[in-house]
Amino acid sequence: MNTDLYEEITAYLIANQNQFYRLAYSYVQNQEDALDVVQNAVCRALEHYEELKKREAMRTWFYRILVNESFQLLRKRKQFLWQDEEEIAQIPYEEKAFEGTTDVYTCINQLAPELQTIIKLRFYEEMTLREIAQVTGRNLNTVKAKLYRGLKCLKGMIQEVDR
Amino acid sequence: MKSMEEAKRRYEEIPIPEELNQRVLDAVQMAEAKRVKQGRIAQGQVEQGQIAQEQMEQSQTKPHQKIYGSWRARWARGGLAAAAAAAVLFVTGLNTNVAFAEGAGRLPVIGPVARVLTFRSYQTEMDAVHISVEVPSVEMIAADLKGLEAEVNEQIHQFCQDYADEARERAMEYRQAFLDTGGTEEEWAAHNIQIQVWYEVKSQTADCLSLVVTGSENWTSAYQEFRYYNLDLQKGGLMTLEDVLGKDFVTRVNAEIERQIEERRKEGEIFWTAEEGGFSGISEDVSFYLNESGNPVIVFDAYSIAPGSAGRVEFEIPRA
Repeated sequence: MNTDLYEEITAYLIANQNQFYRLAYSYVQNQEDALDVVQNAVCRALEHYEELKKREAMRTWFYRILVNESFQLLRKRKQFLWQDEEEIAQIPYEEKAFEGTTDVYTCINQLAPELQTIIKLRFYEEMTLREIAQVTGRNLNTVKAKLYRGLKCLKGMIQEVDR
Repeated sequence: MKSMEEAKRRYEEIPIPEELNQRVLDAVQMAEAKRVKQGRIAQGQVEQGQIAQEQMEQSQTKPHQKIYGSWRARWARGGLAAAAAAAVLFVTGLNTNVAFAEGAGRLPVIGPVARVLTFRSYQTEMDAVHISVEVPSVEMIAADLKGLEAEVNEQIHQFCQDYADEARERAMEYRQAFLDTGGTEEEWAAHNIQIQVWYEVKSQTADCLSLVVTGSENWTSAYQEFRYYNLDLQKGGLMTLEDVLGKDFVTRVNAEIERQIEERRKEGEIFWTAEEGGFSGISEDVSFYLNESGNPVIVFDAYSIAPGSAGRVEFEIPRA
């Protein structure tokens, strides 16, 4: 039992809870669910703390758990249809749930789940691409390509309204 | 309305409910409780019946009150230092560039295909020589720029490293000479020698990212160095003046600089004449960056075309 690591994780989780909550909220869009997600993620992280191999990776390791918990809850509520990566790539998401707004924040929440995650981690959480790759379990180039596509999608959504 | 900054602000305004802290603490306690139990099972010290009984007890009492005590006790033993360490660790991890953050807000969403962030930042002191280094890294997301990112970053990192090393050597030689000629350590410390390596983002658009990496020593300007990087975000590669101004850029730039020198002379600025070794036309690899209005700005090192007191001299060249 590595007590130091366990306590360090605990300290980190408590100190950064507000950030976790915001990210969770941005997916589930209501307070109760967001609280559940954070609580479950914290619990899960501590139960599996030994899976954290390098302590420098603590942040990305936990965000991976947090994002997974968020998606799991959405899946449970069936608000979110989890799709294969290939399918997502082919669906112009903006047509599906697009409500006509120039508000970037709202647009981001309408992107395909993985694109959402990448954009949120980059712009809201200011992670590096490498960190995002760790969180999403993708390789760096995939993350780059997806981020690029996500931003293009956003641009498309916003211009659509302008016209 | 359309900026990423706006979206981020909205994100950060998501209100934090009061219960959050308690819920996080509950989770910590739940995990702790499970861990304690699993630990005992592993050690074979507890009979099944006892565990079941404990579980019942727990569901009857308020879980967090019971376990909170043990967690807190452990916390007090060594947790505070760990908490502090963790906090520091994660603050420094997020060292993004302020200039960028401000600039990014004004960009359209598609704009930030590249960004500059502080790759590493450190400060050291040795023999009263203060060294502060901020190494930038460029991050790009457009896949077709492959290679540029790695190449530029390697150049930048190498430059920062080399400059810091060489500047320290120079300072150490200076120190030795100072002590050898009768100076004391106290007097040396009063020199307050500082070496700085840092960077600045000059401008960023969807087409180009312009930054300058600078190395300087406060006791001599002779070794000041500036490296300009103008990244072409559309085609990949470093932008040249020709890319910006077209084929006849040398003639155009020279004419414009001569015109501006004349104008500035009238306002009292001193430039060396051609005989004194003043401006005599740019070389093809002259330093430049793109400013916020997208115009190239040509930069001359101190002493090169004007007296050192003028410092570095800049000329903005309007695009056609």
